[in-house]
Formats: sequence, structure tokens, C-alpha cells
Amino acid sequence: MIENTKFQSAYNFAFLDERTKREIRRKILKAVAVPGYQVPYSSPEMPIARGWGTGGLHITLAIIGREDTLKVIDQGSDASVNACSLRQFIERMTGCATTFDSAAASLIQTRHRIPEEILTEQQILVFQVPQPEILRSVERHENKTRLMHAEADYSKLWVSLYEAYVRYGSLMRGAGYPVRVNGRFMMSPSPIPRWDVPNLSGARCLYLFGAGREKRIYAVPPHTTVEPLEFEDVRFRVEDWHGTLCAYSDQGQAFLDEIYEEDSTRKFVVNDSNFLDKLRGGPRPPQRLFQNPQ
Amino acid sequence: MANLLEIRGLAKQFRLHILNGKVINALHSIDFDIAEGEILGLTGQSGSGKSTLMKCLYRTYLPTAGQIVYQSNSGPIDLAAADEHALIALRRTEITYCSQFLHVIPRVPALDVVAEPLIRRGATREQALAAARDAFTRLSLPAELWDAYPATFSGGEQQRINIARAVVARPRFLLLDEPTASLDAATKDAVIDMVLALRDKGGAIALISHDAHTMNRLASRRLHLVEGRVQEVIHA
Amino acid sequence: MTSSDWLLRVRGLTKIYGQPDADSLANTGPAAATNICPNTGAIVACADISFDLYPGEVLGVVGESGSGKSTLVQLLYFDQEATAGSAHFTALDDGATDLFSLSSQRRRYVRNHLLGMVYQNPRDGLNFNFSAGGNIAEKLIMAGHMHVGNIRQRAGSLLSQTEVPVARMDQTPRNFSGGMQQRVQISKAIANQPPLLFLDEVTSGLDVSVQARVLDLIRQIQSELGISMIVVSHDLGVIRMLTDRTLVLKHGRIVESGLTDQILQDPQHAYTQLLVSSLL
Repeated sequence: MIENTKFQSAYNFAFLDERTKREIRRKILKAVAVPGYQVPYSSPEMPIARGWGTGGLHITLAIIGREDTLKVIDQGSDASVNACSLRQFIERMTGCATTFDSAAASLIQTRHRIPEEILTEQQILVFQVPQPEILRSVERHENKTRLMHAEADYSKLWVSLYEAYVRYGSLMRGAGYPVRVNGRFMMSPSPIPRWDVPNLSGARCLYLFGAGREKRIYAVPPHTTVEPLEFEDVRFRVEDWHGTLCAYSDQGQAFLDEIYEEDSTRKFVVNDSNFLDKLRGGPRPPQRLFQNPQ
Repeated sequence: MANLLEIRGLAKQFRLHILNGKVINALHSIDFDIAEGEILGLTGQSGSGKSTLMKCLYRTYLPTAGQIVYQSNSGPIDLAAADEHALIALRRTEITYCSQFLHVIPRVPALDVVAEPLIRRGATREQALAAARDAFTRLSLPAELWDAYPATFSGGEQQRINIARAVVARPRFLLLDEPTASLDAATKDAVIDMVLALRDKGGAIALISHDAHTMNRLASRRLHLVEGRVQEVIHA
Repeated sequence: MTSSDWLLRVRGLTKIYGQPDADSLANTGPAAATNICPNTGAIVACADISFDLYPGEVLGVVGESGSGKSTLVQLLYFDQEATAGSAHFTALDDGATDLFSLSSQRRRYVRNHLLGMVYQNPRDGLNFNFSAGGNIAEKLIMAGHMHVGNIRQRAGSLLSQTEVPVARMDQTPRNFSGGMQQRVQISKAIANQPPLLFLDEVTSGLDVSVQARVLDLIRQIQSELGISMIVVSHDLGVIRMLTDRTLVLKHGRIVESGLTDQILQDPQHAYTQLLVSSLL
């Protein structure tokens, strides 16, 4: 008898059924075609709760192939609980190779960071996005924010930036600094630090953003201009550690974590765990560094 | 001199809707002319229609019938039927109404009240203020009042400001309603001299005054109204 | 008449809420003593409003609550969508384009660059989550000013022009007095020096002395900048003080229009006579 192999495994390759993947891929194509524009998508149920990376997972599972090498980062670390859980889940659902090495991965899912090491044409970075709407802080109503995007009416966002300057004396805005993509759409870069924002612009890799709870996908294609919002006289700046070096690698020029030890002493450590490993093990990997304006 | 105004068949009727449509016939078919450089006096008892006639000429009252043809700088125009925008423009540049009581915007100093019409006609602020000071001096208005708000002034002081405001702007047609009612004899003559100076520059003036001295010195011709009709024309 | 005479030409402006039928316009208005269509319940907020506004002119619009006077300026400021009618504005394409035919993007341009609005309720014109300076900055940013130093300088001079202490520039107007909120609104409305300003019941709800100062400010701005204005008010005192010409609205229609002194001293329509006789 001819065996039906279809039901031999409990799940389809990469968990999602093929029709769902196709729907998500179509939405990704649209997102790539209109850089920075938020494309609504189905956001199907997953075996993890929304808000725990379902958007990133949808994209990863929809585009992953058997030859891909996967890396999952959570706030710069490959080893945090969330990074491990997601990596193991995708590994079990696809059988793909996994890696910690930013240069060796073909597909990287991330939360809150862009790897320090330059990503190439061979790589795709998938962001998990909690709040895709950059205008949400100035406008509560979705119908209004959509109109504002449609008409490129971003004055309120600018005013909130002006207000931040008036209140704090600089354009300080922790994570999720607003950016304009391709001279058109204002976009939330997801809660990455300002340090990572310049790396969005003119990159060689493809950036995909998935917001599962909010059911939105958007993208920054390779070699796209991404400008952080700034005024003529008040400019965008990345975080500055004023020459502080990493306690483990004795090197600077990377996003540093501030860590308090049990004896309440404090030290700074390179946040990107793979980058830190490489700094300690050998030559410094290639990096794009942003110069703050004078 | 040429006629500045030709009034033909002017009538005014008030229809009071809140008094069940009661009709008051205030003016009946009035005809007269005013020449350039002429002062025409309007006389008659209270309620004879003098003020109504003045207000019709200024279009504060909408004439019910007739024509008021005025030779404006840009050609003849019927004030009874003219477009409101044309009237606003004429009031800004050529026609001034000087009522018995001062109706100025509150909280504006006396000097500015008088200078304002001149500024509107294109004078610089300095020129306008200088002209206002000159007028106040001639009308012997106490200097400490020049920068005060006229709303608190006495009747005579307000009257002088009113006259100064009207005359300083040198209108081509001035409507003067009781210009000297609450003034002493000396100030009265100062006002009269100012009005005569305006006339000598070619201005036409319609005047209402119960003061015989004022009327005698100013008006070269009088229209005597009785119950809304011109009863006689008296030449001085 | 050439287009250079008028600044704003409005023709047949109509706003109807709900579903009108063919007779809705005929069945409403002053003659019918209602603005609600008896057949369909449609509300005719204003109908067939036509007028010309000249450069530098201040036009008053009076009427009781529900007469459609606020609707009129809200339609012209694009706060609401007109049902019918046209409005040509010489500040845009020399008056060749009907404002109501513009795309929403162009409407926003007109709103931000060529028009100003001061609402009765400061909440409608100001964002209380932003500082007073931020509210003014919004207008300036929309007009393309991207230099914080310059923006703050201009906002500061606008605030001092309207007698708001510049020291309070970085505070939210939420904590300001009613009169000061109104003055911040006026600063914002004139930030881009628009040729036309709408004032919707700006002094209602203010104390008499505060009212007087706001009116003084408006008059001063008018004479200094020569801005044309449409002043909506139920208060004939405000109309007398500010305007050259007046439209009287009732049940959404113009029942009378004329020079303001004529409307006040020789009102023709029964409704205007009632309005004026109730003044004192």
C-alpha cells in the first residue's frame, strides 16, 4: 500500500501551514515594496502568547528554508530565556541549523538590538515589535494615525520631539527613536537603542519588522535611507559612554550595559554577547560607527 | 461749485415687526443738493427727521426710496443702493459721521482715537499723532488728558475729541450732529473755526445744531424740516 | 467684479446632517421656523449661505444657538465637510480653485498656512498635552520651520504680543486662566500670519474684564496686521466693537445682511429687530 506521509509529522514544516505562510510572504513583499509602511496581516495564533515575539516568529517561520542558519537574540544576548525558547521552538519545527555567530547566520530574529557586526546581502534581520505605530504616543485613534501617515502629516510627532527638547534639553528618547524611511513614512524602529538607529540606513541586509499583537508587518529594504528625526539646530545623537571601556574586553565603541554587582560596584559590559565573544577571542569584527555631531 | 451730493425723492419708513408691523413714515420724498465747500444746516423740531436724514445719508439707516448720488473720487455712486463694500471703502476714505456722542472703542488713548482715521488713510503714525496734538491744542483740551481714555471724560471733553477725530482726517463729506452742544463759548468758536477751515478746503458738510450761534456762523443754507418734509430752504 | 476685489467668495454653502429629501430645504428655514426636516429628520445646519469677504474686512455673523453660525466657520476651516456650495479664496491659486474641491492634503496646507481659527473652547484649538510654546511650534513646524531656536524666538514674540508671559511658554495651557488660554489660541492662530482668521465665540464664557482685553487684542491684531476676519458671536456688543458688516442667521439661513451700524440701528427683518431690541 502507498503510505500517506502527510500526517506522519504533527506539524507542517516551520509550524505554519503553507497558505498562512504565503499570506505572510505576500504581506512582506508589500512591506518591502513600500518601505516603512505598516502592512496589516492575519497574525495567526501561535503556541506563545502575543506580545512575546509572535510577530517576529510569524515572519521567521514564513520565510525560513531548510538551508537557513538561524540566530535568535534577545536584548543582545543569545542565551536569555526568551532567545533560547524561540530558537529551540524554530529548530524543532524546521530542523534548521542554529548559531550564535552573527556573521554565520542567514536569518536572525531579534528583540531590541541590531548586531554590532555589519550584516550583509546574505542576511535578513527580523525584529520583534511591541508597538509598530510611532504616532501612537501623540494620537490614540488608529483611524487618525492612518490618515496622518497617508497624508504625511507628522507635525504632532515633531512637536513631541520639540517638547522633549524643551523638557530635557535634548532629543533624549530612550528606545524606539522615530525615523523617516525613504523620505516618506515615519517608522518605529522597534525599541532598539539610539546607538543602533544609524545602522538602519543604507544597510546591505534586509530588515523585517513583525508586530504580532498589533497585526502589522513593515520593512526596510537594503540600501534604503533611514533618517532619525532631528531639528536644524538640535541634532540626533547616539548614546555616549565618554570613553568607558567594557570590563571584559577592555574595548569601547559598542553599546554597553551597565551592570551592578552584588557588592554594589558597577561595571560596563558590551551588550551584544556574540560581539563580546569575538572581541575577546580575536580581531575586532567589522562595524559601522556613527559620529555624533559637534 | 459743483454738487457733491444730489438727493432725490428720499424717503424713509420704519416697519416695526415687534409692534405688529407698525409703520412710521419718518421722511417723505426729500430733494436737495449739497455743493463742494458748502455747509448745509438741517433745522427743525425734535422728531422732524433731521437725524434720520443724516443717518440715511450715511446709510446707518437704509433709505426706503429715492437716490443719494454722491460724486466720489472714483465717480458717482448712489449711497442709497450702493454695495456695502463700496460704502465701507467710502467711510474709510471720504465720508465721516460725527455724532452727538462719542462712540469710540474703549481703552484707546485720546490721541490714538484722533490719529486712527488718519493712519487708516495712509499717514504715518508720527504725522497722525502730530495732527492730533495740533487739533487738541486748538480745541484747548488739557494736555494731561491726551494720553487718557476718553470714556471717562466729561461731555465737553468727549465732544472735542469727537470733532477732532472727524475733522483731522479731512473728509470730503462730513456729517455733523450737534458739534457744539456742551461746549463753552470760546471752545465753540474754536470748533467752528476748525469746521470752516475744512469747508475752505472744499469739504461739504451737513450740520444739525440747536445752537443758534453755531448755525449762524456755519450754515450758508438751511433746510427746515417739519414732520419729515422739507418745509423751506433758507439762504443766509 | 474682478477677483482682486474680494478675498473670500462663498456661494450656496450648505450643511445637512442626516438624509435630506427633495423638499428638506423648502421645509426648513426661518419661514418654517425650524431647521429639522419634518419628513426625514435631517438637520439643515446652514443652507445657501453666500457672501463676499474683502481684504481687511471684519465680517460679523450673529444668531442664536443652533442658527448655524458656528457651522459656517467650521465648514470654511474644514472642520466639517460641506454638503454643497463653493468657497473661493484669493490667497489660493488667485481664487481660481474651489476650497471644497481640494484634496485633504491641500486642505491641510490651506488650514495651516492661509487660515487661522480661534475656538470658543480653548480645548478645541489647543493640545493640552503640549506646552503653550509647543502648540505654537506645531503651526510653525507645519509651515516648514525646523530650527528650534527660531521656533522658540517666534513663539516667544507671539506670546508677548498677546500678553502671555513668556516665562510660561513651556507650561501646558491646561493650567492657564481662560483668558490666557484664549490668548495662546490667538497666538497660535496668527503664527503663520494668515490673511484670514475665524473667531468663533471667542469671548463667551470669559469674565467681562477679561473679555474686554481679548477684544482689545483682536482689534489690535486686526489693525496692525490687516487680517480679514469672520467673527461669530451671539453677543451684539462684540459684533458692534469688531465688525464692519454683519450677517444675521436664523435656522441656518441668512435673514439679513448689512453694515453693522445699519443692522444695529435700522434692522429690517423681524428677527433682527427682536435680537436688537433684546440687547439692552
